Amino acid sequence: MSENGSLLAVEDVNAYYGESHILRGLSLEVESGEICALLGRNGAGKTTTVRSIAGATPPVVRSGSIHFRGKDLTDVPPDDRSIGGIGLVPEERRVFSNLTVEENLHMADVSRNKSNLIRRNIENPAETVDVNVIYEAFPRLDERRDQLAGTLSGGEQQMLAIARALRQGPDLLMLDEPYEGLAPQIVEDVEDAIDRINNEGTTILLIEQNAIAAMAISDRCYVIDQGEVVFEGPSDELKADEEIRQQYLGV
Amino acid sequence: MSAVQQLFSILLNGLQLGAIFALLGIGLTIILGTMNFLNLAHGALYLIGAYAGMLIMRVITLRTGLLMDLGIQNLGLGWGFVIALFLVPLVGFVVGVLMERLVAKPFYKRPHTDQLLVTFGLALIVEELVKQVIGGNTFQSQAPDTLLGLQVSGPISLPIVGGFPRWRLVIILIAFIVIALTWLFMEKTDWGLIVKAGTLDSEMVSLLGIRIDRSYALVFGLGAALAAFAGLIGTTFETVRPQIGTQRALVPAFLVLVVGGAGSVRGAIVGGIVLGTVLAGFQQSYAQWADIAMYALVALVLIFRPQGIFGSVEVEE
Repeated sequence: MSENGSLLAVEDVNAYYGESHILRGLSLEVESGEICALLGRNGAGKTTTVRSIAGATPPVVRSGSIHFRGKDLTDVPPDDRSIGGIGLVPEERRVFSNLTVEENLHMADVSRNKSNLIRRNIENPAETVDVNVIYEAFPRLDERRDQLAGTLSGGEQQMLAIARALRQGPDLLMLDEPYEGLAPQIVEDVEDAIDRINNEGTTILLIEQNAIAAMAISDRCYVIDQGEVVFEGPSDELKADEEIRQQYLGV
Repeated sequence: MSAVQQLFSILLNGLQLGAIFALLGIGLTIILGTMNFLNLAHGALYLIGAYAGMLIMRVITLRTGLLMDLGIQNLGLGWGFVIALFLVPLVGFVVGVLMERLVAKPFYKRPHTDQLLVTFGLALIVEELVKQVIGGNTFQSQAPDTLLGLQVSGPISLPIVGGFPRWRLVIILIAFIVIALTWLFMEKTDWGLIVKAGTLDSEMVSLLGIRIDRSYALVFGLGAALAAFAGLIGTTFETVRPQIGTQRALVPAFLVLVVGGAGSVRGAIVGGIVLGTVLAGFQQSYAQWADIAMYALVALVLIFRPQGIFGSVEVEE
């Protein structure tokens, strides 16, 4: 835990894609156990924020700091961040379509192989979740273990992307637009899954363009615009603040 | 020869050519797929395999080159084919790992043009070194007479096909055993899983906690070992000279890549066999059209299926 007790603390981060300045002094904190939503229009910098936290490049973080459980992540590569407890369900799911469901879920075990961990200094690696626990939580995936991920429906692929991240046993799970392209019924399923994961103790950072859905499920919200935070507070407060909603979210 | 006889003979020759094309294509395709690295020095690995194989198997007489100028007339260990079968892939693997660490790695994040230039330069250096040191002349092919006590030379009478060179059958057998082992490695091991996943989305693999660049050296070494093995096989039925790396290995490997699809081992195997069969078919009927037919096939694939038979990535414009 950092001094102020946040699980994740992003402080004054400036991040660039090439020469374009995308995050402009962005700061946010995620508290242990909460569902925190990061809202904003297309191009506001939401995905850049998530990628910066996960350690993916681009973007390049030129200044500012990101602390996770009190540890500075500046020099920590993305693979170490994952094992350290930062999970990601990326935009557009990115399941390995050429692998079976089972193989997709097996990646967590591969990441904990001795040959993968040797000569890496990772404090407190997250403990992986047994694959049978995951199958119990996602029975649809259990039925489709041997199917190639590319042949799953959009909703099933989203579940697989979530399950794949959960197998790593993350303390913080970041979901980048998990509802995108899903039918309303499936959106509800995904919402239920997020709720359940959170109730079992995983902290959630939810990135959404769909503000209504995100406000409904989250405890707290950040609204960002042009790489800066323009609102932070409890989700109920944002629901009441019509001006911010109109101006930055268009709802 | 009856038409049926002709057909089966084409298929067998196609399998033999195709197996070698596949061995070359697999290495190139997994390196391109996982590392997004275009390796024009892939043919140099075949060249190294051919010369290493020749020097391990037999003793050759030098006619030109630096070593001959230094007074060395006969070069080679003369240990035979079986020993070479184990040593040559090992040589290829070591050269491949060194190539990855010293040449490829610094260029992973650079544009493809830079990768092409540096690996083409490397291919020229290897070719020129071989020419200067061992000589620019052509060495005849030589196949073993016996293998583990079994006679492998001379023709064998096959049903339908009739007389067929025994050694070509052995080549088909050995090459497909190696291809099958590679296939098992890709399908059944965690390394193979990393390579397959990495071919599709290497960033996602690292976002799942896997240090993927560790598997890069292994993949490069594996691809190099297969190319060197193809070179060894080549010396037993084709002449050996410094230019074979580009002519007989690099160009076919790229054609296989286009036909089979970038990043797909299955594609490299199927693409290799398809190209080999087309080539063998024309060689036995309209030999002067053989090369043209092969390029025409590749052009057709590019027009109608630019991502290749099994590829997921389209060839960049």
